[in-house]
Amino acid sequence: MKANALKKTTTSGKQKQTGYKTKNAIKTTLHYILLIIIGFVMFLPFIMAFLGTVKTDQEIMAFPPKFFPEVWHWKNWSRVWNTDLGQGGTFPRWLFNTAFLAVTVAVAQAIFGSMAAYAFARLKFAGRDLVFNFMLATMMIPGAVTLIPAYVLMTKLQLINSYWSLILPGIVGAGSIFMLTQFFKSIPNELEEAAVIDGATHTQIFRMVILPLSRPIILTVLILQFQGMWNAFLTPLLYLNSPDKYVLNVALSIFQQQYKTQWNLTLVGAMFNAIPVLIIFFIFSRYYLEGVAYTGIKG
Amino acid sequence: MEKTVKKTTREGLILALITFFGVMFIIVIIALINAPTMGGSRVMASITTYLEEVKATGIPFIIVIAVLAAILGVILAREIYKVWPNQKKRKEFLTGYAFLAPYLIVTLLFTVGVIFFAFYISFTNYNIFTRPTWAGLSNYAEAFAGFTDSTKRDFLQALYNVFWYSLIVVPIQTFLAILMANLLNQPVKFKRFFRTIFYAPSVTSSVVITLIFVWLYLKGGYINFFLQTFLGWFSIDFQGINWLGDPRGLIQLVVEAFGGEIPSTQWYLRGPSIAWMAIMFQNIFTTVPTYMIMFLAALQDLNPALYESASIEGASKSQMFWKITLPLLRPIILLVTVLGTIGTLQVFDQVYLATGGGPLKTSLTPVFLVYQEALGVTGPINMGYASALAFILALIIFMLTFVQRRVLTEGTEQY
Repeated sequence: MKANALKKTTTSGKQKQTGYKTKNAIKTTLHYILLIIIGFVMFLPFIMAFLGTVKTDQEIMAFPPKFFPEVWHWKNWSRVWNTDLGQGGTFPRWLFNTAFLAVTVAVAQAIFGSMAAYAFARLKFAGRDLVFNFMLATMMIPGAVTLIPAYVLMTKLQLINSYWSLILPGIVGAGSIFMLTQFFKSIPNELEEAAVIDGATHTQIFRMVILPLSRPIILTVLILQFQGMWNAFLTPLLYLNSPDKYVLNVALSIFQQQYKTQWNLTLVGAMFNAIPVLIIFFIFSRYYLEGVAYTGIKG
Repeated sequence: MEKTVKKTTREGLILALITFFGVMFIIVIIALINAPTMGGSRVMASITTYLEEVKATGIPFIIVIAVLAAILGVILAREIYKVWPNQKKRKEFLTGYAFLAPYLIVTLLFTVGVIFFAFYISFTNYNIFTRPTWAGLSNYAEAFAGFTDSTKRDFLQALYNVFWYSLIVVPIQTFLAILMANLLNQPVKFKRFFRTIFYAPSVTSSVVITLIFVWLYLKGGYINFFLQTFLGWFSIDFQGINWLGDPRGLIQLVVEAFGGEIPSTQWYLRGPSIAWMAIMFQNIFTTVPTYMIMFLAALQDLNPALYESASIEGASKSQMFWKITLPLLRPIILLVTVLGTIGTLQVFDQVYLATGGGPLKTSLTPVFLVYQEALGVTGPINMGYASALAFILALIIFMLTFVQRRVLTEGTEQY
């Protein structure tokens, strides 16, 4: 800025500045073009898949592929919606299973996570730091190690094919506890002290002071956990194996084998799976991105 | 006065005892649930039949855990005895553990308990439906048997594959994430719109993205079509590639271009296959946005004064990037590298859906192998062997992240 102001005083400087300006304009345009190209590339697969869902069985296999279908065959969507694999395995059922598990796990993580986080962030007791460090250590354990024994445990508890097999281990998560702890620590102590003087118990402080102040971060946890469970694949694949208990992801992996070359139908399934999370993401994107950034910086 | 002190110490003593036995009780129950026994509906029919099995095969396991539980119980009991006379401390102690209880119980059962169990059975032959039999180190030896017997090279090849995977995916995704974050960190309009669009692939499930890409990668799919059209402009004749079914390796292709040949016995010289690289490309597509957001958050936290003073000194944009931005981003680069390595070494979804480990095992990964062995997809159920593989993988991940930490934090003190 300063350099520009100095240049302005000389005549030759003025010429230079206009040159600088056009150069800047080109740069900005290039910048936007680059952004648009990247945005296009990131979204293109979704657009192509979406257009694929309304093509006929012949169109989808044609080569060279045509970008737009001749006629939009919305019938594909109802065909997939009416899928029936037998034994109660219907599409609405899978949608329900997925949504039910995602909501339950998200709510449980928010409740139990904020309880644990309150203990870590606002209470002083022997062993607190030890447990906290232990929690951080468990975050480093690769999922592959617990995969097999957790499966054995579920068979022994006879929870295979029950929603509990996914809910029980999912009600707490080190990641969300960590995020909530960092947030609770940033709430000023004065508020709590006032409550203590008024004779509030810890449970009351937690419910009346901390929780109301933490709405944004709790929403972040809810959304991230909802997305995590909605998108989970390996654990539902292992635990839920009768058609009426499938989640969308598992059902989708079966679609691919079932429909074979009818990719239009498999893609409809993919869209049914993707659209709810995308909508939630577009509405709450701020909380999503904050959550990701939070784990990034503070982790 | 003396009386109350006596009373509180007595209460404290009773509570310490309750704590000790409470801790013992909970942990021994968890150990019992996780004890290495055979499963199956007959054994699990009632608690008595299960306990009989525990008696038969799980006693050493229970004893080890009980000893650890006793140590933990003594420590906690001592603490509670110490804090008991002080009402405020007592309250915080009890509330603290009450609030942590759900977390602790679930973690002890589903994380710590199962890891002890997995560690134990990694030294046994075990398939859930029969009693685990002690096998010593044979499972671990079996994992590396491929060095001498090339028919048993599955695990070695899986490791080889994921090493290539990390080696290619992690640097590219980190680089692209920094690049995109920088593009977004300029004063542009519709920043939020672009940010949201860029992030969309990371929100969707990997199953959805993988299926879409499997479709795009078909021989008559869009990728081949785009390449044909694009290369057609330069009048290069491009034959469509069966992307996910092509086992030719990267190094193999280069060597063949010069007229050489790598025999299939020397698979480890062939490099990542075309199918494997196709999966890499798709993986980069989904993970870059997440890391981009991390970098973006870090960039927004950087002190603008640094850039102002640098521009007064006459530094160019690229100089500022290399000399200021990049060094300050080092902690996030470390984090993204570590997270990326952990993630890439454990690829599963993409392999399960897109290639099933093929072609010619060039997309086999350790986690996929663990899954196959544990469920007996290709042969008998082999839980012990699967656990051993998982522990070897975990050890490799720990070592790699440790080395990365050392390398990337070196020399950061000067900033």
